[in-house]
Amino acid sequence: MPRKYGVLGAAAMLAVTLAGCAPDSGDSGGDAVNLKVWGWRQEDVAAYNKIFQSYEDAHPGVTVEYVPYKNTEYDTILKTGLTDANGPDVAQLRSYGLLQPLVAASGLVPLDDQVKELADFPKPVLDGARGENDGKVYGVPFALQTLHVIYNEKLFADHGITAPTTWADMIAAFEKLKGANVIPLASTVTDTWMLPIQHEIFGATTYGGTDYLNKMLTGGAKFTDGPWVKSLETWKGTNKYWPPQSSGVSYADAQALFTSGRAAMFPGGIWELGVFEKANPDLKMGIFNVPPAPGAAVDKTLVPGYVDGSFGVSAKSPKREAALSLVRWMASEEFGRAYSNELRQISAVPNVQPQDNLLAQALRAYQENPSPYVTYAYFSGGSPTGWDLASAAFSDYLLGRRDAAGAAGHIQRGVDQWFRPKN
Amino acid sequence: MVPAQELTVRPARRRRRQAGRTSPGWITAFCLPAFALYGLFVVVPLVTAFYYGLFRWEGTRQAGFVGFGNYREILTRYPLSEEITAALGHNVLFFVGTMAIQNTIGLGLAVLLHRNPWGKRLFQTLFSLPYLISPLIVGYIWSLLLSPTFGPINHVLRAVGLDSWARPWLGEPDVALPVLILVNAWQWIGGPLLIFGAALAGVPRELEEAAAIDGASAARTFWSVRFPLLIPAVGVITVLTFIGCFNIFDLVYALGGSDGGPGGAMDVLGLLYYRTAFQGGSNAIGESSALAMLIFVLIFGISVALERALRRREVA
Repeated sequence: MPRKYGVLGAAAMLAVTLAGCAPDSGDSGGDAVNLKVWGWRQEDVAAYNKIFQSYEDAHPGVTVEYVPYKNTEYDTILKTGLTDANGPDVAQLRSYGLLQPLVAASGLVPLDDQVKELADFPKPVLDGARGENDGKVYGVPFALQTLHVIYNEKLFADHGITAPTTWADMIAAFEKLKGANVIPLASTVTDTWMLPIQHEIFGATTYGGTDYLNKMLTGGAKFTDGPWVKSLETWKGTNKYWPPQSSGVSYADAQALFTSGRAAMFPGGIWELGVFEKANPDLKMGIFNVPPAPGAAVDKTLVPGYVDGSFGVSAKSPKREAALSLVRWMASEEFGRAYSNELRQISAVPNVQPQDNLLAQALRAYQENPSPYVTYAYFSGGSPTGWDLASAAFSDYLLGRRDAAGAAGHIQRGVDQWFRPKN
Repeated sequence: MVPAQELTVRPARRRRRQAGRTSPGWITAFCLPAFALYGLFVVVPLVTAFYYGLFRWEGTRQAGFVGFGNYREILTRYPLSEEITAALGHNVLFFVGTMAIQNTIGLGLAVLLHRNPWGKRLFQTLFSLPYLISPLIVGYIWSLLLSPTFGPINHVLRAVGLDSWARPWLGEPDVALPVLILVNAWQWIGGPLLIFGAALAGVPRELEEAAAIDGASAARTFWSVRFPLLIPAVGVITVLTFIGCFNIFDLVYALGGSDGGPGGAMDVLGLLYYRTAFQGGSNAIGESSALAMLIFVLIFGISVALERALRRREVA
């Protein structure tokens, strides 16, 4: 196997080296500056070109080029790219734990003193672009992702159901649908990365969201403590409303169950809306969040969300000033609006309202009662990451190979090896 | 009568004499490209992996020599240390299962086709066709076939009244690994079929006829005459199966994702390496290089030992 990966690795290195050797048109034209923005969204090139056009119009002599790489290979390519002046000037960065290797390798410029607009961003949003060791911000966050239960409006109307506002209403709706031979929740079990997402959607109110997170970060609470363990039980308690033989239902199966109208709801991220619309343009959708479960730590409906990523400046870029000026613009409402409208995403820039109704509803709900995506956002700065541990532990838990306390114990034991509470 | 061996040896001798006239310079020149490619794509990455594994990394920056620190780290850190043992166990089970199912059935089919050559070519081609498909595609297609919600396999089982047999094939920890072994066998059964077929064709007819005249049953003929002559082929297939089973990545990835299916029931060393290298933290390069070296030493060592042991049996 090292053989196989060795060859792959060598080929990847070669590809990166060759890409790095490509002539840089921007340097040859006197004052003209060409900024390369690397990213992982191949499907968004046209939208980014349109967005950057307005920046180019306002800044004569500057051209901005969005250079996309394959999503799954981007992190490896970017690690190498940031060690070289021929790499990106501005790079799309993953958030939280996945950002840390780049910060550790000193590949990025700290932006706290350079981009004063960041002061207006809420702290939880900046957390997504922060170096965990030095607390500095290394990117301008571009998108928020929120987690909800997405529902099929027609199926709800057909069965006389409206978006539930209490836990009892929600369970009654599930029962009604199940009785009518409609799968209430299109939940997946085999794609383990979806499990921590589903857990936040159904379990957040049981452990208490941000309040509990703050206790965890300062050492006052653990995964293994009662509220968090109980939140796993709250979530698994809904499994009688999942598809039959759910342990073999994949993410793609779950999506197909929902878009084909066989399932009435899909617990997942707001990004699914675009995917579902493409799969079934006639589908009318709504979103709601899970009301407080019996015995919940809070009495309000929580909306989990997190930062998708940010744009940072390469420390090796020879055009640092021009690159900083571009990311400053990326913190402006003009960029936020263009981003939100062109890409149909929730912009991370404060005070930018999405035009799309559901996105606007999601953002409003999140701003009113935000809740963290704990394992992904706050426990993925070391190895093993809380997110990986949770994905594996939840899979075992749903398959009956661990109980709730055992699953929580697995996560706690893993993160205890590197996590140190603040204060 | 001239022994068959003599007939084949003579032209070989002639060729060797001709080869003697070729200058060493030419031989070197023709070997060089192969050596260069082997060196560049096999030796260099191997040495590099070993070297990288001796350092601590911060992203892509070397952050100090740690000797065998990375090895200690991956062998002691929870849950990686347990995952290594579990993955190794799955590789072993996968190898044993493949030997028992794929290679036994392959041998059986080869014997059937040898005894009854009608349509031999056709069946050899049919059984070998899945070779042409990438394991990623094979895995994806089978995951669709086996899907509990949309898959035709469960649909057919329910249609014929076998409802209790319809299960989430890739979603049950106890079933997933056997399913993996079967899907893998479906793809590669042509290998043992062809190799055993060629070896069976090489068994001298006189021996089989002599056994028949002595009144040996079909089973006795197989075990006492044919099988001992198939041992070299068994050896080749065992080593190839071992390497294949310990290098497996693509098929498992397509069937169960990078986490190795339900509760990690299909997690193998290849997936574990992938996760350590591409989903690891700051020190991913150091830790994954160390893991790669461990896996390499394991596979290389066992392959050499296996080959030696089998060759000794052949000689005996």
